[in-house]
Amino acid sequence: MSKKIFKGIFLVSFLTLVACLALIMGVLYQYFGDELQTELRNEASFVAQGVEASGEDYFADMPASKARVTWIDASGDVLFDSVADETTMENHSDRQEFIDAKELGVGEATRYSGTLAEKTVYYAMRLSDGTVIRVSTTQSTVWSLLVSMLQPIMIVLAVSIVLSGILASKMAKHIVKPINAIDLDQPDLDHAYEEISPLLLKITRQNQTIQHQMDELSRQRHEFSVITENMNEGLVVIDNMTDVLSYNSAAQRLLGGKITEDAKSVFALNRSETFRRAVDKALSGQHAEELLKTGSMVCRVIANPVRTDGTVTGAVLIVFDVTQAEENEAIRREFTSNVSHELKTPLTSIFGISEMLKNGIVKPEDVKKFGKDINDETGRLITLVNDIIRLSQLDENKFADEKQPVDLYETAKSVIKQLQNYAGDNKVSLELFGEHCKVNGIPTVLDEMVYNLCDNAIKYNKENGSVRISVEETDDAIVLTVKDTGIGIPKEDLNRVFERFYRVDKSHSKKIGGTGLGLSIVKHAAACHDASLQIDSRVDEGTTISVAFPKLK
Amino acid sequence: MRNKFDEQLERLNVELIKMGALCSEAISKAVKALLDRDTEMIEKAKEADEEIDRKEREIEGMCMRLLLQQQPVARDLRVISSALKMISDMERIGDQASDIAEIAKYIISENTNSETHIKDMAKEAIQMVTDSIDSFVHKDLTMAQKVIDYDDIVDRYFDRIKTELIALIAKDNTKGEYYIDLLMIAKYLERIGDHATNIAEWVKYSIAGEH
Repeated sequence: MSKKIFKGIFLVSFLTLVACLALIMGVLYQYFGDELQTELRNEASFVAQGVEASGEDYFADMPASKARVTWIDASGDVLFDSVADETTMENHSDRQEFIDAKELGVGEATRYSGTLAEKTVYYAMRLSDGTVIRVSTTQSTVWSLLVSMLQPIMIVLAVSIVLSGILASKMAKHIVKPINAIDLDQPDLDHAYEEISPLLLKITRQNQTIQHQMDELSRQRHEFSVITENMNEGLVVIDNMTDVLSYNSAAQRLLGGKITEDAKSVFALNRSETFRRAVDKALSGQHAEELLKTGSMVCRVIANPVRTDGTVTGAVLIVFDVTQAEENEAIRREFTSNVSHELKTPLTSIFGISEMLKNGIVKPEDVKKFGKDINDETGRLITLVNDIIRLSQLDENKFADEKQPVDLYETAKSVIKQLQNYAGDNKVSLELFGEHCKVNGIPTVLDEMVYNLCDNAIKYNKENGSVRISVEETDDAIVLTVKDTGIGIPKEDLNRVFERFYRVDKSHSKKIGGTGLGLSIVKHAAACHDASLQIDSRVDEGTTISVAFPKLK
Repeated sequence: MRNKFDEQLERLNVELIKMGALCSEAISKAVKALLDRDTEMIEKAKEADEEIDRKEREIEGMCMRLLLQQQPVARDLRVISSALKMISDMERIGDQASDIAEIAKYIISENTNSETHIKDMAKEAIQMVTDSIDSFVHKDLTMAQKVIDYDDIVDRYFDRIKTELIALIAKDNTKGEYYIDLLMIAKYLERIGDHATNIAEWVKYSIAGEH
């Protein structure tokens, strides 16, 4: 803007100066021309008077003059000339000033020289005897004047250029200064140019709107970040160059890496094969879902493309921690496969025996033996199915509200009664110690628990071994302990014996029987009663399992 | 124009990260094939190597285009020239992983774990590759230096395994071929360590301009 103003002012002042110069020169030239003419006229009349008075003699002592004086007779021949020799001069009868003077008394003419560099002004006057006195003088023309004055004119022009330049620049700065001084964030309406106040007013209003919107935006962003930061799920937003636009701390925790100023790509968070596949797929415009293993964690990554006007401009990644779910899933899978295996074994033998019976290839004396086999296997199946039902009931916590005070000692006593025969068959002695203690529990579940513990203690015992069952009240708990003198459990298996279908003896041998669910039921039953389990075992020496119940309040 | 250049550089960076990730996967798979006697992993390691070769050509093309079309200077030039060097090291890592997988195919029936320190050495080599890629991803000078220093440890493992193998051959010369194969694998792992060191050095060069 200041440039434009400068240009304008400069041009105007320069043109004005030049025009003034030209005008002044023209006017002065005209003025001097007129002066010259008057002078010429005076001189002519002066010379005319002199010639009238003293005739030819006047020329002899004529005062020196700038002007050239010529005396011409009526026929046009030159009688006298103050500059040239009158004898060599041609007849002047065709000169305009002579013709005019003869006719009108006076005549004037201006003639230019061949080069136009000079002009000669003539003034002629008729005398009483018919002769004509002509006075002439030369004057430089405008052009020659201009040429001769070129240097001073140039100097004047240069000075005027510099002068107008300085003036223009000063003016421009002066005009623009208040505009530049405006603080656009807070324009001072009172001290600005009147012409731009509407603009400033508008700017002020827009500033306010923008500020308001910015506040709103930062508030929303804060809200968003509070929400995402408190999410357990990782959230990452990336652009199509895989640069992270936004992420929460959960994403960083789950994916393992970190985003820094130098590492903005989402692959800085994680660059495993599955993660890259998910990101690439999302950026190619497809929904992707992958399971990602990072260290001990398993995450599910869901990646969705973000489209703007039909093209993929980025992707949103959501990361869930599914470690627990995956573990449960694995346990469930194992359980299902175990259950099917356990169910299949007795069924296969029943199927085989029944087929033989159907085809009549069994000797009549063996029918009874096969019948017993079928009976045993069916019994096994029923026990197994019962155990599974019991376990699933415990899983779902179905007995939660049926709790009542139960005398643990009485429960143990009744279990021993049930198992007396079984123990006798195995040549194992059962002993019960302790006192009558009541716990808050579900009678059937507690019964089952004690039964399973004692059953195991007998089952995995040695000949002439013993099972010691005690119920005691300690300072903070009621403890049921089942101690046997059996084969014991190897150390590496101790942690796993409570798992479903886990058998120390992997052969699943029929000799001992059992479903592999006994201790699992004990574990669930204990959990159901908020009781803690403790197991201690030495191979070939025996196993002690104690269950500590919380005291009745 | 600059914008496009920055975008191309960014793409180069991402592709390099991907190629690096592929490298650590290739070597992990090869080592898994060897140690866990997992036949499936042999093929996977080889596939990863092929993928690495493809990536190398792709990145090479990118670098050449950048050099010719953008005529980068200073830091950008360093980044691109070190990328060119890095991909050849990465490609070698891929090749060596594939070689290990190839040998693993023949000795998969043997029990590799117990007799020598090859498992520990493989673990360290994988860690070196992962760390060198990490130092690239995070433009981390200290980590790059750590990788460079770590090379000595892998080298020492190689010497140690060599001694162990000599003793084993002396004891039971019927399994000579198997032990020689193990020595080859140890050598490959040692080379992988060297390549990881090279990568770390190029990372240093691209960040600080020292080499």
